[in-house]
Amino acid sequence: MKRFSRQSFVMLLIAMLLVLGACSSNSNSGTGSSNTGGSSNTGSSNSSDTSSDEKPVTLTMLVSGAKAAEGEDFELEIFPRLVKEKFPNVTLEVQKLPDEQYYTTVKTKLGAGEGPDIFLVFPKLANMGAIEVAKAGYAADLSDLSFWDRVSPAAKNDMSYEGKPYAVAKGMDILGTYYNKTLFEQAGITEIPQDWPSFLEAADKLKAAGITPIAMGDKDMWVIQFGMYQLAANSVYPTDPEFDTKLQTSETQLTDEKWIKTINQYKELYDKGYVVNGSLGMASAQAAQQFVDGKAAMIFTGTWDLPSLTATGAAEFERGFFSLPGNEPGQPVYASASTAAGYAINANSKNLDVAKEVFEYLFDAESPLFEAWVASNPSISVFNGVELQNDIFADVLGNIQETGNAFYFSNQMWPAGVSDAMQSKFAEIIGGRAVTAEDVAKAMQDKYTELYKQ
Amino acid sequence: MNSAVMKKTMYFFVLPALVFYCIFWIFPIFKLFQYSVTDYNGYVQSFNYVGLDNFKQLFQEEVLSISIKNTLIYTAITVILGNIIALMIAVLLNASISGKAFYRSAFYIPTLFSAIVVGFIWSYVYMPQEGLIASFLEKIGITTWDTNFLGSYSKSLYSIIVVDIWKNIGTSVIIFLAGLQTVPHELVEAGKIDGAGKWKLFRFITLPMLATSVTINITLSVINGLKAFDFPFIMTNGGPGISTNTLIYAMYKMAFTDQLFGKAAALGIISFAIIIVITIICVFTLNKKEVSA
Repeated sequence: MKRFSRQSFVMLLIAMLLVLGACSSNSNSGTGSSNTGGSSNTGSSNSSDTSSDEKPVTLTMLVSGAKAAEGEDFELEIFPRLVKEKFPNVTLEVQKLPDEQYYTTVKTKLGAGEGPDIFLVFPKLANMGAIEVAKAGYAADLSDLSFWDRVSPAAKNDMSYEGKPYAVAKGMDILGTYYNKTLFEQAGITEIPQDWPSFLEAADKLKAAGITPIAMGDKDMWVIQFGMYQLAANSVYPTDPEFDTKLQTSETQLTDEKWIKTINQYKELYDKGYVVNGSLGMASAQAAQQFVDGKAAMIFTGTWDLPSLTATGAAEFERGFFSLPGNEPGQPVYASASTAAGYAINANSKNLDVAKEVFEYLFDAESPLFEAWVASNPSISVFNGVELQNDIFADVLGNIQETGNAFYFSNQMWPAGVSDAMQSKFAEIIGGRAVTAEDVAKAMQDKYTELYKQ
Repeated sequence: MNSAVMKKTMYFFVLPALVFYCIFWIFPIFKLFQYSVTDYNGYVQSFNYVGLDNFKQLFQEEVLSISIKNTLIYTAITVILGNIIALMIAVLLNASISGKAFYRSAFYIPTLFSAIVVGFIWSYVYMPQEGLIASFLEKIGITTWDTNFLGSYSKSLYSIIVVDIWKNIGTSVIIFLAGLQTVPHELVEAGKIDGAGKWKLFRFITLPMLATSVTINITLSVINGLKAFDFPFIMTNGGPGISTNTLIYAMYKMAFTDQLFGKAAALGIISFAIIIVITIICVFTLNKKEVSA
């Protein structure tokens, strides 16, 4: 009995090993046959070197965001597939994490020397900003890539350090107010408000009609920035475009009355009850759900959230997009727009050349990968000759292009942590505590002084 | 001769474990002390020594006092309330009722889920207006209660504690059940013959016999409470504001979000001191109680 069971165990083990061996040899023969097909594919690639290593290469990519609710996700599915078609020996493994976890994960990996080959980098001084990763030596200098003449200079500059670009921006992102056209009609709002008093009036009309004017998922405190920066673009920067540079030299402080005005404007929305009750207990995904279900008329977020806000919900309605008008009547409306995050290559990557070839392919105007990328990208492209994919942004974008009235997101010029201080302190206002705009501004300035040591 | 050789070779057997212990436990602790006096940001490898600046900064900010207060409240409630409820459930499950096996499994199932899943689902239960609790209250006609559990400064910490107790009750119940099995029947019967009522039986016979289970459960709960991180992280992001920050959560946020590894290391050392003090108090009290029981 004992001998029998031992024998059968050994046979089972051998059988398992055979099966595993057969499996691996199957995949080997698979890559073998596609390799011969791949080596004849030299014509369409823009890059000049013909030696795409025939050895199998695995590129790792880490980005942030949410998986596409409907259809194929570009970064997770389309990108690796098209890369495989063009470079059969290259396997692109993509991981997509929610924003908060992305920062932690990518920094830990880079700090440990195990960073992904391609990762997302944000403009200027933002958390995981181009300046930071370039200084720390984590991102590779991309000046030798061929497509920079087709990229808008502003987008290239925002991702540069000492004149060299370190990431290719996905485009331009605009922060704005998505609104439900049907609910606006119901409340009798006939035109988009162009100044702050009109906006408050419109919100009042919605409230009178029994409609929740604004939904915000303040439990995810970073969304507080979305309303705040739109107001800052109107109340802080138009009269002082160099405000953040002056902060660095201590010529001015965040406790300046312009910021007090901005914070008070945002506070007004909560004081007057225009924002959904209990927003502090709602996550941003839940607030987006409220919007698509037709339970709230407006939500403050950016172009990147287009997919989740146009998802099918309980209600059918047309979406619109406008810039929150924090300006006085008679003054122009300023939009809050910034270079979006972009793709960077790990300077210590073992497959630096292969990664650069993939980038050349991605940003080659004639490649199917570029087309697929443009089609799925909610950010507004900064490449020459690319048409606006989403009409919903046409008005705001047109205004920005004609008048140039736009300012970047403030956190891109602050050390990482200042916007967090703003969020925590402002959350206390939302929570009904006896905190004033001056307290919030002071918390921001204290944090700025603590963190801005360079 | 044999014993002398054995004694020498025994030390060699310990060596691999000792090496691992030093590399993964002792060395990082020394590094922690080192980083606490620097401005290391966890990202760029070069840093400067800044003396006790990190500690001074921490003592000036309110994060430290709020985190300590929250951690102590969290621990106190999960230990006391959690263990009392677990004990009551264990006594109930020990009685002869039909479907005992089913009830025992039912109470243990929440423990099997990961804290992330539990936290995520409960954040939908607690959602204002639309969540499970809010909808239920609406259905039975109570519309005036404020159902903003996770967004309210006064309620969020307690809401999280409820979830923690709900999840971890399983382990305590099992340990108490095991303890209850060891209470000798003869003592209980002797008590009954002497005319003791249910409560007296429990208090003077069962409870003292459970002394070891109580010690184990309290120790485990205290450790879990002081380490509280999962639920503030998943359910409230330490918020609203910083009102549900616990020591470990504050450390995590300082290190990874604010990129201030030095300051987080300083907070780590302060937490270390506090936890040691609490543990010593607990251990001595429990030991005294056990000896006297």
